Amino acid sequence: MGRLTRGSWIEFGIFLAIVAVFYGFSFEFNQTIEIYIFGATAWPRVVIALLLIATLGNLWFQYKNGSASQGTIGQSNDDQPDLSDPGTIPRMIAVLLTPFLFAYLLKPVGIYASAPFFIAAIIWLFGERRWKPIVIMTVVIYVIFIGLFLVILNAPLPQGNVSPFYDFSAWILTLNAKLQGL
Amino acid sequence: MIENFLAGSAALFGDPLTIGIFVFGVIGGMLFGAIPGVSMLTLAAILLPFSAALEPAQGVMLFAVIYCTGTYGGAITAILFNIPGSPENAPTSFDGYPMTQNGQSGKAVGAAVLCSAIGGIASALIMMAATEPLAQWAIKNIGPPEIFALVFFGLIVAASVGARTIWKGWMSVLIGLLIATIGQDPVGGINRYNFGLPDLAAGIAFVPAILGFFAVSEIFVQAEKKASGKYKAPKVSMTFPSFLELWMHKLAVFRSILVGFFCGILPGIGATLAAFMSYGEAVRWSKNKEEFGKGKLEGVISAETANNAATGAAMIPLLALGLPGGALTAMMVAVFQMHDLQPGPLVFMLSPDLIWIVFAAMFYANLSILIIGVLETKTILNLLKIPFQFLAPLILMLATVGAYISRGLVLDVMVMFLAGIMGYLLRRSGFSIPGIVLGLILGKIGEQNFAQGMQMVHYDLGEYFSRPICTILIVAGVITLLSSIYRAFATSNKPV
Repeated sequence: MGRLTRGSWIEFGIFLAIVAVFYGFSFEFNQTIEIYIFGATAWPRVVIALLLIATLGNLWFQYKNGSASQGTIGQSNDDQPDLSDPGTIPRMIAVLLTPFLFAYLLKPVGIYASAPFFIAAIIWLFGERRWKPIVIMTVVIYVIFIGLFLVILNAPLPQGNVSPFYDFSAWILTLNAKLQGL
Repeated sequence: MIENFLAGSAALFGDPLTIGIFVFGVIGGMLFGAIPGVSMLTLAAILLPFSAALEPAQGVMLFAVIYCTGTYGGAITAILFNIPGSPENAPTSFDGYPMTQNGQSGKAVGAAVLCSAIGGIASALIMMAATEPLAQWAIKNIGPPEIFALVFFGLIVAASVGARTIWKGWMSVLIGLLIATIGQDPVGGINRYNFGLPDLAAGIAFVPAILGFFAVSEIFVQAEKKASGKYKAPKVSMTFPSFLELWMHKLAVFRSILVGFFCGILPGIGATLAAFMSYGEAVRWSKNKEEFGKGKLEGVISAETANNAATGAAMIPLLALGLPGGALTAMMVAVFQMHDLQPGPLVFMLSPDLIWIVFAAMFYANLSILIIGVLETKTILNLLKIPFQFLAPLILMLATVGAYISRGLVLDVMVMFLAGIMGYLLRRSGFSIPGIVLGLILGKIGEQNFAQGMQMVHYDLGEYFSRPICTILIVAGVITLLSSIYRAFATSNKPV
C-alpha cells in the first residue's frame, strides 16, 4: 500500500464522490445551446475530468511520499492539525457544529434571542471557564452587535417566527424605534 | 497624471465620510493584519456586504487601502508569532520570527514599517503612471479570447501557490472552478447543479463563500490551536532599527521594489511570488547566505519591501484588464459588481474619478504606514493582548450578519458555515484556500470569455492562435503547467 494512510483513502473517497455526484448531475442540464456548440455541460465536465486526474495524481503522490510537502510558493508551515490530545477532537466537533446549530435556529428563534447563547458558547468552547468573564464579554459583544447593526445601520436581521422568541425580537425592535425617535 | 492625482486627493479629503472610511481602512487593515488568527482578508470579507451601502469609489477605495495596510499588518504576526497574516508575509517570518526569539522584535517590526511604506509608495507611483496607458492599449487589443488566455494563465500559476503539494494546488483551484459552475450557465442561462434548491439558481454567492473560507475557517483553526494548547502569546520589544542600519540595505530595498513590482503584475500569484522571489534574491546576492533564516534584518527588509511593492502592481491587471491577482483583489471585483460596474479598461472612461480616488488613497495609505505605523505599532502590539476567546465570537457574529444581509437568506449563513468547515478541513489537509477562492471568482469570468472568444473566432483554433497575446499567454501557461507537472513527478520519484 506504499505510504498511503487511512486519511489518504478518505480524502480520495471524498473527492471521487464529488466527481461522481457532479458528473451524474451534469446529465440533468445536458441541453444544446443554439448559439454555443459546446453547450452547458462542456465546461463543468472538463473541470470534473481535470479534478479526477488531479485526485488520482494526489493519491499516487501520497502512495510514493506519504504526507510529504513539495514546498510550493506561499505554503503555510502551519497546515498540519494537532489532534494528539484526546480532548481536542470532541471539542473541535462542538466548535464546528455550534455555528451550524446557530444558523439552523436563526429562522425559528431569530438572531436577537439566539446571539447571547451563541456568543457565550463560543467563548466557553475557546477555553474560557470563568463565568464572570463569560457573562461580561457576552454582554459587551451583544451590545456592540445591537449597537452597530440595529441602532446605527438599521440592518434587517432574522427575527424568528416562534413565540416567545419572535415577541422578544419585536420588543427589541420597538425599543430601537423609541430610541431612534428620541 | 499630477492633475488627476491632485483631483483624486481633493475628492478623497474633501468629504468627511470618505476621510472616515480611509482612516478606518488604514487602521482596520493594520489591526486585522496584526491580530493573530485573523487577517486583512477576514476584515475585507466581513466588510464586503456592507460596501454595497457605500458609493462605488468609497467601497473600492476602502478595499485598496485595506490591501496596502493589511499587507504591512500581516508582517507583525509573521514577526511576533511566526503566523504570516497572508501568504505574502510568509518569507517575513523566516528571519522576523528568529529576530523576535533573539529579543529584536522591535527592530524587525520597525524595518517592516519603513520598508513596507517605501515599497508601497514606489509601487503606487509606478501604478499611477502605467495603469491608464495600459488600459487604453487594452481597449484596442484585449477581447474575450485574450481574457480567457489570461484567466487560464492566472489559474495555472495560482495552482502552484499555498498548497502542501502541487497536486493539492490543482485540486484547490479545480474545486473553486467546480463550485463556480453552480447556478445558471453564463451563455444559455440553463440551471446547473441547483440540487432542487431554488435559491441555488443564482449560484453560490461570493460573500458567504469568501467569509466562510477565510474568516470562519481561520476561527476554527485557532480553536483547534486553543484546544491543543499550541496558541502562544508573543514577546514584545519596541527598539526600532537605526537609520544607518536601514541605509546599509538600500540596494536590497531597490532590488526588492523592482522584483515586487514585476511579480505583482502577474494575475493569480502577484505579491506572494514577489515576496518569495525577493527573499530568494536577497539570499542569492548576499555574501553571508548562512545568516538567513537565523534572524537577519535583510530578510525582513527584502520580503516586506517586495510584498508592498506588489500591491500597486496587482491593481494594474485588476483595473486595466478586470482580472484579480489575488484573494483581496478578487473581493474588489465583487465590490465593483455590487455597484453594477465591471473592472477593466472601460472603468477609465466611465468612472475616472473612482480610479484616481483609489490611486490617491493607495498612495496615502502607504504613507500612513510610515506615520501611523510608527506611532500606532505600540498600540497594536498592546491590542494583541486581547484574548482570542473574546475576539472569536465577535468575528463570528460580524460574519453571520455579513453573510445574511446581502440577500436576506438564512441559506447564505448555512453556506458560510459550510464553507468555513470545508475551509478548515481543506486547510488542515494542505489545500490552498486562496486557490479555491481564485477558482471560484475566475471560473465564471473564464467560462464566459471562453464561450464568447470561441464564438468570435468561429471555433477555429488557428484563428484563436493568430492573436499574439492569446498565443503568448497560452504558451506561457502550458510551459508553467508542464514545469509544475515535471516538478510534481520529479519530487515524487525521491522519497521526501
